[in-house]
Amino acid sequence: MTVPLLQLTAVAKSFGAVRALKGVSFDLRAGEVHALLGENGAGKSTLIKVITGAHSPDAGTLELAGQRVVQLSPARAHRLGIACIYQQPALFPDLTVAENIALRLEPVTPLRRVAWPARRRQAGELLHRLGATISPETEVRSLSMPEQQLVEIACALGAGARIVIMDEPTASLTQQEVARLFGIVRALRQDGVGIIYISHRLEEIFALADRVTVLRDGESVGTRCVRRENAAGPKRDVAQSTEAMADAPLLTEAQLIQLMVGREVSTLAPPVERELGDVVLALERVGCAASGVQAVTLAVRAGEIVGLAGLIGAGRTELARILFGLTPADSGQIVLQGQRVTLASPQAAVARGIAYVPEDRRRHGLILEMPIAQNIALASHRWLFPGTWLRFGAERTLALNFMRDLGVKAAGPEALGSSLSGGNQQKVALARWLATRPKLLILDEPTQGVDVGAKGELHRIIRRLAQEGMAVLLISSDLPEILSLSHRLAVMRGGTITALLPNGCQASEVMAAALGQTGERATE
Amino acid sequence: MQTSSSSESGWRGLLRRHETVLFALVVVEVITFSCLGRRFTTADNLANIVRHSVEIGLLALIMTPIILTAGIDLSVGSTLGLCAVLFGKMWRDAGLPIWAAAGGTLILGALCGGFNALLITRLRLPPLIVTLGTYSLFRGLAEAITRGTDAFTAFPESFLAIGGGQLAGLPTQAWILLAGAVVVGVLVQRTSFGRAWRAIGFSPTGARYAGLPVERSLALAYVLAGTVAAIASLTYTARLGTAKADAGVGYELAAIAAVVLGGSSIFGGVGSVPGTLLGVTAIAVLGNGLSRIPATMSNAAELTGTLTGGLLVLSLAGRALAGRGKRRIASGFQGGGTE
Repeated sequence: MTVPLLQLTAVAKSFGAVRALKGVSFDLRAGEVHALLGENGAGKSTLIKVITGAHSPDAGTLELAGQRVVQLSPARAHRLGIACIYQQPALFPDLTVAENIALRLEPVTPLRRVAWPARRRQAGELLHRLGATISPETEVRSLSMPEQQLVEIACALGAGARIVIMDEPTASLTQQEVARLFGIVRALRQDGVGIIYISHRLEEIFALADRVTVLRDGESVGTRCVRRENAAGPKRDVAQSTEAMADAPLLTEAQLIQLMVGREVSTLAPPVERELGDVVLALERVGCAASGVQAVTLAVRAGEIVGLAGLIGAGRTELARILFGLTPADSGQIVLQGQRVTLASPQAAVARGIAYVPEDRRRHGLILEMPIAQNIALASHRWLFPGTWLRFGAERTLALNFMRDLGVKAAGPEALGSSLSGGNQQKVALARWLATRPKLLILDEPTQGVDVGAKGELHRIIRRLAQEGMAVLLISSDLPEILSLSHRLAVMRGGTITALLPNGCQASEVMAAALGQTGERATE
Repeated sequence: MQTSSSSESGWRGLLRRHETVLFALVVVEVITFSCLGRRFTTADNLANIVRHSVEIGLLALIMTPIILTAGIDLSVGSTLGLCAVLFGKMWRDAGLPIWAAAGGTLILGALCGGFNALLITRLRLPPLIVTLGTYSLFRGLAEAITRGTDAFTAFPESFLAIGGGQLAGLPTQAWILLAGAVVVGVLVQRTSFGRAWRAIGFSPTGARYAGLPVERSLALAYVLAGTVAAIASLTYTARLGTAKADAGVGYELAAIAAVVLGGSSIFGGVGSVPGTLLGVTAIAVLGNGLSRIPATMSNAAELTGTLTGGLLVLSLAGRALAGRGKRRIASGFQGGGTE
C-alpha cells in the first residue's frame, strides 16, 4: 500500500458555537477521483478550505505524501501542489488568458521584465495539453464559463498540482462540456493526479469517481469504493470503467442517498389532517428567463403548508423572488385567489396579500439600524399610517402585540434590530409580514442559523398560522423541518419542480428527487 | 402623543447630544462676536444674517431628506441659477405677470428635480454622478440663455419686498425659512415619507424587500429639491434685485456642509431638520461675525471657509469616535423604555 497523497486525520473546526467539522478523516491517493458528497451545510466547503489552507483546523493532522504539514496557508498549499477549481472561476476578466496564467505561475519579484513570448508559449502549451483551442491572447472576459474553467485547470496543471479540487465544476456546463471536462479529469487521473470531486449530481459520481466519502453534520459517515477495479491501482482503461461499473455496482444510488440523509426521519409527527381551504395561489408554467426558473406549476391552498425542497441553486429563492415581484415572471400565469395577476414589483405583491420573509434576514429581512417597532411597521405603512401621517402610538401597540404574540425577547420596541439574536430577528422579520395580514406567506429558510429553542417556537408559529387559514410556502434545506411541517412537498431542481410528494414521504425520496435521480441515469 | 419625540428613537441619544453640542457652538459664536465684533448684536445685523442665509438654508433643509436616503444633489445651486434666469426671461421677455412667472419658475424647478429623479430611479445611476452632470448642465443652460452677459433687473417693488421687506417685525426671509423648516421637518419626522427615506438610507435593498416604494420616495426627494431651489432663486433675485446666470454658484456645497455639520450621516439614515437648522446657523453666524471683527474683516470670507471646514472635520471625527464606542455598547444601550 502506497502512502496517500493527502491524509487528513480527525480534523475538527468550529466557528463560534457551530462545529462545522467534528473529527473528519479523509485520504486521497494518487491517480484517483475521490468524490465528496453531502447535504448543504454538511461540512464540504469547510473541509476544502482546510485542505487549501484557507482555514486552519482546530484539531487533527494533515499529511501530504506522508509529511505532516502544520500552518498551511493558501500560498503554501499552492506551492505544495494543491489547486482548487471553483464553480465560478476566479480570473481577472480584463486580462488575457496568458496574463492570468502568468499571474498564478510566475514568481512575484519587484523588478522583473515581462517575457511576453515565453508567457504566451507557456499558456499555449498548457492549454494544448488540455486539448483546448483558446488563444492565449484572448481576454478572459470574452470566454465562456467552461473555457474559463479550462484556464483554471491550465493554471493548476502549470503549477504542477498533484492534488486538484473541483467544487461543483459542472454546475453551469452543458452535457457536451461535461463530457469534455470528464475527459480531462480522466487524463489527469492517469497522470497520477489526485482529484477531489464535489458534485450533487449522483450520475457524475458514478461515472467518474473511484471512491466517495459522504459527510453529514460535520462528520464523515463513510467512504465507499464506487468501482471494483479501483483496488488495482491508478492504471486502468478509462474507456471500460463505465461498463464495468454497470456490470457490478458496488454501491447503489439508493445506498448513497441513505448515507447522506442518515436515519429515516420518521420520529417527527406529520401535520394533522384537516380540511384545506380554497386555492390561494395557483402557478401555471411560470418562468423567468433572467433567474433561470422555468415552467413551474404549483398550487397552495388556504391553511396548507407547501414545502419547497431542493439543493442550493435549484431555483427556490428565485421562485420566491418572482412571487414577491422582485424579478417578475416573463412566462406563465400566476393566479391569486381566482384572479390572474402580474406581480411587477414588491409593492404590487404586498398589495395582493403576498408576504415574503427572505433568507438573508440581516440584509433583506430587517433594517438592523432601525428599532423593532419601525421594522415591524415597515411593510404596513399603508393601513397603519393612513394619509401618510405616522401614528406612533398605534405603531408601538402593533409592535408590542407581535412581540408578545411571537415571544420576541428584547428590551422593548425601541431596541434596535441589530441588538437582537438571530431567532428574535427572525421573529421580528416574520412579525413585519404578519402585520400586513397576508393571504400567502412565503418563508425562505426561516430557521437558518437560529438556536434550537427559537427553532421549535418558529415551527409552532408556522403551524398555527396555517391552522388559522394562511397559505404558506415554506422553503427549507432542513429536511426534518420541511418533512415535519409540510402538508405537501414540491422538490425543485434546475429551476423547475421535478417532484410533488405527499405528506409523510421519506427523506430519502426528497433527497433522491433533489439530486435528480429519476431511475434512468445519464450516461457519458 | 408623548411618544412622538421618541419616534426615531434609535438615534435619539446621539442626535440630542450632537444637537446640544451644535447649539453650544452657536452660543459660543454669538458671545464671542458680541464681545469682539462691531455692532454684531444689533437687530439690523441679526436680520442681515437671516436675509443672507435664506437661500443656503432652504437648500440645506431640502438636502436633508436626500442625504437621509444616502443620496446627494450637487445640482441645487445650478438649478437656482437656471431658475433665476428663466424667471427673468418669463417676466421680462415673455411678458408674464410677475407672480405667474414665479409660479412658472417653481414648476420649472420641479422639472429640473424630476430630471434628476428620472435618471436616478429609472436608469439607476448614482445620484452623485447624475447631479454632477446636471450641475454642469443647468448652469450651462443658464449661461447659454443669457449668453453669459444678460441680467434681469428692475423687478416690481411688490416682488422685491420678499428680499428686503418685513413681516410682523421679522424679515420676510425669516418666515420663508421657518415655513420651509416646518414643512421639511414634518415630512421627515412625522410622515411615512420620512420613514421610507430613512429606511432607504440605512439599507436600500432592505427597503425594497419591505415592499416600500423606493423609487417613488427617492423621486419625491429630488423633485422637492428642484422646487425648493426654484423658491430660493426667487428670494435670491428679490434680495439682490437682479437675476443672472451665476446665481447660487457654490451653494450646493455650502448646503451640504451645513447638513453634515448638522449631524446627518452622508451614509444615510441619520439626520434631523433641527440639526440642519443649527448647522446653517452656525455657519451663517460665523461668516457674519468674522466680517464684524476689525482684525478679520478684510478676509472674512476666506476665514469663514477655513473655519467651516475645520468645524466639519472636527464634527465628523468626533462622531466617528463616538460611533465606535456606541457600537460596542449597542446591545445594552436601549435600557428602560421612555414612558
